[in-house]
Amino acid sequence: MKKTHIIAILVIAIAFGVILTSLSNNSTYASFKEATGSPNHTYHVVGKLDRSKPFSYDPHVNANLFTFYMIDKDGSERKVNLNRPKPDDFEKSDQLVVIGTAQGTDGFDAADVLMKCPSKYTADSISTVKQSSM
Amino acid sequence: MNGVQYIGEQIGWQYAGNSFVFLSFVAAIFSFICYVISASGNELEGDNWKKMGKIYFRIHSVAVIGIMTTLFCMIFKHLYQYHYVWEYSNDAMPRRYTLACFWGGQEGSFLLWTFWQVVLGNVLIRTSGKWQSPVMMTIALAQAFLASMLLGFHFKGITIGSNPFMLLRDIPGFAGSPFVSMPDYASKLAPTAQGLNPLLQNYWMTIHPPTLFLGFASTIVPFAYAIAGLWKKKYGDWQVEALPWTFFGIMILGTGILMGGAWAYESLSFGGFWAWDPVENASLIPWLTFVGTGHMLIVYKSRKNSALSTFLFPMITYILVLYSTFLTRSGILGNTSVHAFTDLGMSGQLLLYLVFFILLSIVLVVINWKRIPRDKQEEALWSREFWMLLGSLVLLMSCAQIIISTSIPVTSKIAGWLHRIQPLFGDFLEKIHNQAPPVDKIGFYNKWQIPFAILILLILSFGLYFKFKDTDMKQLWKQIRLPFVVSLIFSVASAYFLKETNWFYIILLGMSWFAVCANFYYWVKNKKANFWKAGAPLAHTGFGLILMGALISTSKEEIISVNTSKKSVESMGKNYSDATNILLTQGDTLRMGDYFVTYTGKEQKGKDILYSIEYMAKDSQTHKYSQLFTLHPLIQLNPQMGNVAEPSTKHFLSRDIYTQITFADLSDSKAINPNTNFTQPKTQTISVGDTMFSSNGIIVLTGLDTHPDTAKYHLKQGDIGVGAMLKVTDINNKVYTAEPIYIISNNMVQTIDADLPQLGLKFTFPKIDPETHKVDIAISESKNTARDFVVMKATVFHYIIVLWLGCVIMVIGTTLAIRQRIIKNREAKKEAQPA
Repeated sequence: MKKTHIIAILVIAIAFGVILTSLSNNSTYASFKEATGSPNHTYHVVGKLDRSKPFSYDPHVNANLFTFYMIDKDGSERKVNLNRPKPDDFEKSDQLVVIGTAQGTDGFDAADVLMKCPSKYTADSISTVKQSSM
Repeated sequence: MNGVQYIGEQIGWQYAGNSFVFLSFVAAIFSFICYVISASGNELEGDNWKKMGKIYFRIHSVAVIGIMTTLFCMIFKHLYQYHYVWEYSNDAMPRRYTLACFWGGQEGSFLLWTFWQVVLGNVLIRTSGKWQSPVMMTIALAQAFLASMLLGFHFKGITIGSNPFMLLRDIPGFAGSPFVSMPDYASKLAPTAQGLNPLLQNYWMTIHPPTLFLGFASTIVPFAYAIAGLWKKKYGDWQVEALPWTFFGIMILGTGILMGGAWAYESLSFGGFWAWDPVENASLIPWLTFVGTGHMLIVYKSRKNSALSTFLFPMITYILVLYSTFLTRSGILGNTSVHAFTDLGMSGQLLLYLVFFILLSIVLVVINWKRIPRDKQEEALWSREFWMLLGSLVLLMSCAQIIISTSIPVTSKIAGWLHRIQPLFGDFLEKIHNQAPPVDKIGFYNKWQIPFAILILLILSFGLYFKFKDTDMKQLWKQIRLPFVVSLIFSVASAYFLKETNWFYIILLGMSWFAVCANFYYWVKNKKANFWKAGAPLAHTGFGLILMGALISTSKEEIISVNTSKKSVESMGKNYSDATNILLTQGDTLRMGDYFVTYTGKEQKGKDILYSIEYMAKDSQTHKYSQLFTLHPLIQLNPQMGNVAEPSTKHFLSRDIYTQITFADLSDSKAINPNTNFTQPKTQTISVGDTMFSSNGIIVLTGLDTHPDTAKYHLKQGDIGVGAMLKVTDINNKVYTAEPIYIISNNMVQTIDADLPQLGLKFTFPKIDPETHKVDIAISESKNTARDFVVMKATVFHYIIVLWLGCVIMVIGTTLAIRQRIIKNREAKKEAQPA
């Protein structure tokens, strides 16, 4: 057998290993219900901030804890404890992705949150900008 | 149009801009057609077509310059009736960011890319000689694709390109806005202009994008040569021509990526120089295969070996540039990256661009598969070409891992789509569809990339000691013995000194020392330390230093803003282990690592709120603080885009102290009624000379003032007033005085409080015992909310300077290598001519 063949086989083997382990190692998207079902696994949960309930951040008690309520795509709600200071402009966020594990039946401990702010192009935001300045 | 006669609109710019856009597109297509015909015919016939292709490319170049000039003037003249100007600039922004506004948007950055390819194309027309037609045809085609991104052409619901010369009132989202019906709106838009994202208002924004895009643009040169080789069925002549271009591109793209890292480190709140963010990865991916390209070209030039790889590597590189562009601009990364562009409706076009060049590459390779020369004999195990090939393959695999993991949003989308349209592999597709990006990106990628980094360093330590064809191994071991021993000593010493315990890190550290020592020694020994010949060894040394710096600063990254008062953390349970942000109340001092840190105050400068964070040392004998340095991390206020925190870093030779505000109360704290925020007073009975404690100070009653200032305290005739003279020493040994007053007026006891706003203390003097001369002093402390505070994070990066040093050395080394290549090519041509 030629050396190049050996190398080729090695490369392919390693590449396969890389692909398979990359695929199995990652976290997955899930709903709150699924996350509650397996509380030891880390999930990404997509949802919206529940604006009817308060969110709280008191850095004097704990600078690394911010709590809020989020409703996922299936409509179930959890109290999310985020292990971070309150992100700037959190109130304005449209869509949220929380990353963490379920805690009990009504809680979710998040290590991180990703926020998607509403597009600047909504007619609403622009007409308010216009009116206020003209 | 709604029949309104607009006043003050400068429509001329739009006509000019659109004409240039259209011209640039059409001229690029004509140039492409002429060059294709020229490249397909024989030499003689092709000559006229070549001239035509050249003329059209020149016209295209003028048109591109025209587009850029028009857009630049519009921004410079603040013509806010144009959407692009309104969106990316405003009056408040300093002039020096005009260029940054220019490429702040997608259209502008496409223009930048187009511009660099125009420059490269014009240089190639001069220098590529007989390769001009087949090379320029690819470049002209790419230019046509890029120019189409700016067309803004609507046809039966399909939009082609996004035009930067659109009037604000023509943008669909603004159709219902009240300004559309105002005839003189153009002059009133200035206050509403959005302005450049504050994140981008930075000098890095003026130098980073041009560098990065020149790097991206330069990947087309070896690609165009590879296509030309296949097209003309000349499989072995182009590699020499493409070689200097490739290393030029490697150097520029590398510089661009590292500038991005430096930018992130200096002024973005990523918490480091490399966060493995999808957008960062997208720029790194093509660089890795580009480096592979360069080395395969060297192999071919020296040994006429591995011809197939010299075609595949440039193709993969260019396709990856297009794929990266697709990733960052199609909006597909939306949920996973902090700074990807949003979709402007160009994703379909980008996908077409990408698929076209993938198919073109595959078809050309397949057609020529049988004719591409194969190696007659295998490379020897101990030959430089074999190890270069191996190194390029390792780079390719490292690149593959980054691509697979960064593409999770893409594979998820494809799997979801496949799942919907057909019933097979349901569970598997479902699983892929639900894939989420790694939770701990930095940990995840570091774990994967460290083994690749170790292999690469091993290969480039030995690399230059191997000779082409075959190597006398005895000679090699003899030569490499000294650098090996030296690097072993350095590795053990540095691992011990840094207290590294992770074996992967220790091996990587050792390998990077070996790479640095071996390449440096090679230069001294084999190149006689001649600066002009330092090229390859110096570039390799720099690369070793970069990885060494990255390893040390990452593995020894030390977050010093850890909550040391255990009270709040312990009660929260194991899920709240991250206590890296700390509350710092104004005036308080907290210990962080070797430092004592105080938040002394804030001030507003324009849009920026600067926080003063003072770092101090404490003398162990006298317990006195001495100021070391003050950092000014800031928060930039931006109601339109959201506030942005910018870190501040103190650089030392051995360490950087990086400080970032992670939360600050931006509401006006003065509005809160101070009286409602005091704790219940604590009363103590003391004599003169006694000491009391508040939570933030030591209070000593130094004496009683029997004749307080009657005017100051509005004492009436006959009133008896006594003042309690208090000396308050805070934790920084600053001394304050306060004097609460006790008054007997008409047999009634009155008190006048004394405030110490700096410490949030209030003193009341309610009682005095005339016999014992003991007095009651009541202390109320302001609840912390009344005092200003910040939540901050402080990180020490050790020896990050090694990384920056490595960057500079690698850039110098690569530049020297390019210079050597160009000189050698010229000499070779001169030798060939007389014969």
